[in-house]
Amino acid sequence: MEEKIKKVMASVFGVDVKAISNTASPDTIPNWDSLRHMNLILALEEEFNVEFTDEQTVEILSYPLIKMVLQEHGVKTGNNKK
Amino acid sequence: MRDLKYSDILSRNTELGKTMQEPFYDIAVLSNIITSQLNEILEYTLRKENISARVTSGGYDNILQDAKRFNGSDLIIVFWEAANLIDGLQYKADTMSEEEVSTLLVKVKKEIDFLCLQLKGSSLVVLNRFSTLVFNNHNLKHNTFDKIVKELNEALERAIPHNVVLIDIEKVLARISIAQSVDFRYYYSSKALYTISFYKEYVGYIKPIVMSVRGKGKKALIFDCDNTLWRGIVGEDGINGIEMSGTTNGGVVFEEVQSIALALSKTGTVLGLCSRNNPQDVDEVLQKHPGMKLRDRDITIKKVNWEDKASNLKAIAGELNIGMESLVFVDDSDFEVNLIKQQVPEVNVLQVPAKLHEYPQMVRDQSRRFFTLTESKEDAERGRMYKQQQQREADKGKFGTVEEYLASLGMTLQISTNDRSQTPRIAQLTQKTNQFNLTTQRYTEADIEHFITDGKHRVFTFAVSDTFGDYGTTGVCIVDLDVGKKKAVIDSLLMSCRIIGRNIELAFADFMMRILLNAGIDEAAASFVRTPKNNQVADFYDRLGFDVVNRTDSETLYRINVANYKSSNIQYIEVR
Repeated sequence: MEEKIKKVMASVFGVDVKAISNTASPDTIPNWDSLRHMNLILALEEEFNVEFTDEQTVEILSYPLIKMVLQEHGVKTGNNKK
Repeated sequence: MRDLKYSDILSRNTELGKTMQEPFYDIAVLSNIITSQLNEILEYTLRKENISARVTSGGYDNILQDAKRFNGSDLIIVFWEAANLIDGLQYKADTMSEEEVSTLLVKVKKEIDFLCLQLKGSSLVVLNRFSTLVFNNHNLKHNTFDKIVKELNEALERAIPHNVVLIDIEKVLARISIAQSVDFRYYYSSKALYTISFYKEYVGYIKPIVMSVRGKGKKALIFDCDNTLWRGIVGEDGINGIEMSGTTNGGVVFEEVQSIALALSKTGTVLGLCSRNNPQDVDEVLQKHPGMKLRDRDITIKKVNWEDKASNLKAIAGELNIGMESLVFVDDSDFEVNLIKQQVPEVNVLQVPAKLHEYPQMVRDQSRRFFTLTESKEDAERGRMYKQQQQREADKGKFGTVEEYLASLGMTLQISTNDRSQTPRIAQLTQKTNQFNLTTQRYTEADIEHFITDGKHRVFTFAVSDTFGDYGTTGVCIVDLDVGKKKAVIDSLLMSCRIIGRNIELAFADFMMRILLNAGIDEAAASFVRTPKNNQVADFYDRLGFDVVNRTDSETLYRINVANYKSSNIQYIEVR
């Protein structure tokens, strides 16, 4: 799951996966603007087959928060592909 | 495309972008809502077809202001969302007074006229028809919002110049459902209405348009016969044992497929047969079976024999003088379909579905790949003209030398200059011609219109006829004249492959150089720009005696002192 999140983030922000650190946020990724944030939400929802609430779409402004909210939606952590 | 996830599209698009080569195809998206997800999805769709697309968004709700700014783009896409004509029109319309409604209509109609005026000089524009469907799919009667949109669409139809293509966005909504198409969360927070799924479907409507103007559209639809054009096997069941008539249960889907093909042939798609069969059996069906929609005259090329189909398809492409990637082939057999996929992967193969009721819709879905932006009289005639060509090829064998043969054809070359009535055909020739094309500049009707009227260009067209028939307008040459400096630049010179090999180009060159001389031009410049398909004209200007100014792998620049041009003096072509 962690890898998958980073892969999605990297493709949305147009950077290498290595550039997505465990604390990645708009402060560390200059491309993370409001338009790309929307793209990120849509890409994550499609990738993990979830739908974020209105509040969540605004809140998840860092890698740890994204991970946490996806876990709340029942997405399993670890490297198992599901 | 539907199966590919958005994040994969993004990363693959970035990869393709790294190796992209000129010429770039610049697209601007103007909208009054946020449509930013469209950009990469569209780029990826086109880059996959080797079109170096670069998509830019205009400013939010700046359609009118940006129309001018992006005038130089190869394509402008306008997303004008009715619900955001004024903020919240979808709910405000019904509480507006009649006067407010008419004020709004006047305002937007003026904006439509203004936009059309701004877009007039653009190369190509795609505009979505206004729609209320997203919001108004439940009401029994038309409400005010519906009425406003209906009136605006009528105004749009009246106002659009010929370089604008209207897209029925409701068809996209219908194909994937409204629920899948819109995401109201982002509409209320960010004015982004449409979903990733919507854009994936939407680009399927844009792609054929771009493919058509870039000369990459499909050109020929080739069918197998047994269980593809009819139900049954003619060699075994006999002519009376096969079915393709709408009056029989087994035949109805085949009648529909044949009719779709027939309709495509009327807009310029070439139809052919490629089948393992006894030729006389198939001919008998084409001539005599009462249920057939397709007849001999509709089929331009037939390879009915016992050779392998890969070789036959190669022969078909060769005889039609088109690339393998321009062919779509339909067959029912796993074996043949896989053979073609392996042997000639460039050919697009369709397999008759096991659920036969899906067959007509499958062929219909393919029909947009044969889309041509500009339809002309020549399109409808194309199949017949290829047939005349085959007759000429057959006659070739009877003469001692090629010159004798050419002389026997009684060729006439009719040249016109700046003939506006030919604009659609000229644009189409620049878009479609790949082989005899010196610079492969693609132009839209608007571009050609500009050349014809700006007073600085001569746009020559030539039509060829001979004793076997009329080829129609098949050649174009665009020359940029600077009478003051006594210089001319040959911007484009191209000829349809139908008239290659007759020395028409030499007769035309003689004519053009004489025109330049008479116009007082001292020096003419020309160039050859290499593409994967135009090698046959790599030395065209060398053969005419032009001097090479600079030669690289991709381009050769030439110059000639017009007075020194040596005429080829072709006696057997009458120039008018």
